[in-house]
Amino acid sequence: MTSKQETGKLVEIENLRVAFRNDEGGWNDAVRGVSFSLGREKLGIVGESGSGKSLTGRSLLGVLPSYAKISVDKLSFDGIDLRTASPKLRRSLRGGRMGMILQDPKYSLNPVMTVGQQIVEAIRIGNRKLGATDARRQAIAALEAVHIREPERVMGLYPHELSGGMGQRVMIAMMVVREPDLLIADEPTSALDVTVRTQVLSIMDELVTRRGMGLIFISHDLNLVSRFCDRVIVMYAGRIVETLDAKNLHAAKHPYTQGLLACLPSIDGSLEPLPTLNRDASWLEAAR
Amino acid sequence: MIEVENLTVKFSSSTAVDNVSFTVAEGESFGLVGESGSGKSTILRTMVGLNRHWTGNIRIAGLDVRTTRQRDLARTVQMVFQDPYGSLHPRYTIGQQIAEPMVINGIADPLGRTAELLDLIGLGAKFQFRFPHELSGGQRQRVAIARALSLSPRILLLDEPTSALDVSIQAEILNLLNRLRKELGLTFVIVSHDLAVISYMCERLMVMRNARTVETLTREQLRARDVRDEYSRELLAAS
Repeated sequence: MTSKQETGKLVEIENLRVAFRNDEGGWNDAVRGVSFSLGREKLGIVGESGSGKSLTGRSLLGVLPSYAKISVDKLSFDGIDLRTASPKLRRSLRGGRMGMILQDPKYSLNPVMTVGQQIVEAIRIGNRKLGATDARRQAIAALEAVHIREPERVMGLYPHELSGGMGQRVMIAMMVVREPDLLIADEPTSALDVTVRTQVLSIMDELVTRRGMGLIFISHDLNLVSRFCDRVIVMYAGRIVETLDAKNLHAAKHPYTQGLLACLPSIDGSLEPLPTLNRDASWLEAAR
Repeated sequence: MIEVENLTVKFSSSTAVDNVSFTVAEGESFGLVGESGSGKSTILRTMVGLNRHWTGNIRIAGLDVRTTRQRDLARTVQMVFQDPYGSLHPRYTIGQQIAEPMVINGIADPLGRTAELLDLIGLGAKFQFRFPHELSGGQRQRVAIARALSLSPRILLLDEPTSALDVSIQAEILNLLNRLRKELGLTFVIVSHDLAVISYMCERLMVMRNARTVETLTREQLRARDVRDEYSRELLAAS
C-alpha cells in the first residue's frame, strides 16, 4: 500500500505489443503499442471484439498463451517490474494481489467442483491457517455480498446448475473475497440483468473505494463504462485511439468513439434505422 | 397470430413459467423482458416445441403446438438463439446448414434458395462455401437468421439475438431484422434484457419476474415511463 502511495501509480504500461503467428509464418499484431498508467481508480477499456482490450488485461496478469509474442518497454505493478519477475512471484501475485474476473462462467468455473468448494479453495490458498468452518463462513458471506439468494444452498451447487448471471456473481465473489489490490474485470457483467448489474457494479465500486483498489474494467458497453469508471480508454485494432474522462465521453472527438455512441439504441430514441460504423482505414494508423 | 393461454412449465422441482398468457397480432413485434431465470427463454422454447412438459394452450397461426407435428410447426415458426457460436454446426459449410431444413422439408431447389437467402441477409452467395469458424460473430448471427428464414416461416422467435455481439454489430443486426420484418411481413417475439433494444424493436412488451408476468406495456407507455409495477420501474431506472 505504501509504495503505491509514493509513486501514485499502481500499474504502468509502456509500448505494449502482442503478436500471434499467422498461417504464412509472419506475425499478426493484435496489440500495437499500448501505453497507460493506473492509479487507485476505475479505468475502463472499451472497444470491439478483436481490438486487443482483453489481451492488454491478460498481458498485465501474465496469462497470455506461450505462443504469443509480447514486447513491452515498461510493465510494472506496484513498483514490481513484471518483465523480470520470476514465474513464482508472478504466480503468487495472481489471485492474491491481482485478481481477474473473466467473461464466461461456463469456462472459468471448475465443472466438477461445487461452488462452495471452489470459493473455499480460493480463500484457503490465500490464508492456509484458516479453518474449514471459518473459510466456509467467509465463502457464504462473499456470496451474500454479491446478492445471491440462499447462499447456503448455492454453495452445494455445481456450475452447470447455475444460471449465467449466478455463475458470473460466483466468479466475482471468488475474486473479491481475496480483496486484491488490482482487479481486472473482463466483461464481468455482460451475462447479467440490468438490475443485478447495478448491484454487482456497486459491490465492485465499494471495494475500489474502501480498499483503495485499482480496477481495469474491460467492456464493449460504452455507456456502462462511462457511468461506472473515472477514465475511459478507447481501443481500435490494437491501438488506443482516445483517452477520455468518463464524464466527458459524449464530447469524444475520435470518429470511432462517436460512431460507437451513435449506434446504440435508446429507450427514447428514434425508430429510424440505427447508424452503423463506417470503418475508415486511417483509424488503423491514428496515433493515440 | 400467437395466443398463449395459462402456460405453465415445470422442471423437476421448480416452476419455470407460471400461468403466463399473452397474444401477439400478425406483423407485430412483441418483447419479453426480465431477469435471467424469469422464464423468457423457456416460453420461446415451448412455443417451438422444444419442451414437452407444459400445461395450458399455445396456438400459433391457428396451429395447436401440442398436437401439431414438429415438421409443420417448423414451417410456421422458427427460432434464432443468443449464441451464434453455439448454434451453427462447426463442420457443416454455411450453405449446407441453411439448405438442410429445406432438404428435410422437400423444398424445391434448396441451393438456389440458399444463395437467395444469403443475399437477403447481406452476406452474399459466396459465403455458402465457408465454415462457421471463418466468420465473425455478427456474420454467424446473420447465417442463423438466414437458416431460420429458409422455410419461409411467418414468425421468428429471437432469444437475445444481439447480446453476444458488439454494439456496432448489434446495430447492423437490428437494422437487418427490422428490414426483414417489413419486407417479409414477419411477426417477432424478442427476448432481451436490454430495454433500449426492446423499445427500439417492439410495439408491445411483457415484463416478467420469477416465472410470472409483471405487466404488459406498449412502447408508448414504456417511453412515457407509464409503468405501474415496482419491478418495471426498477428495470427502467437501471437501464
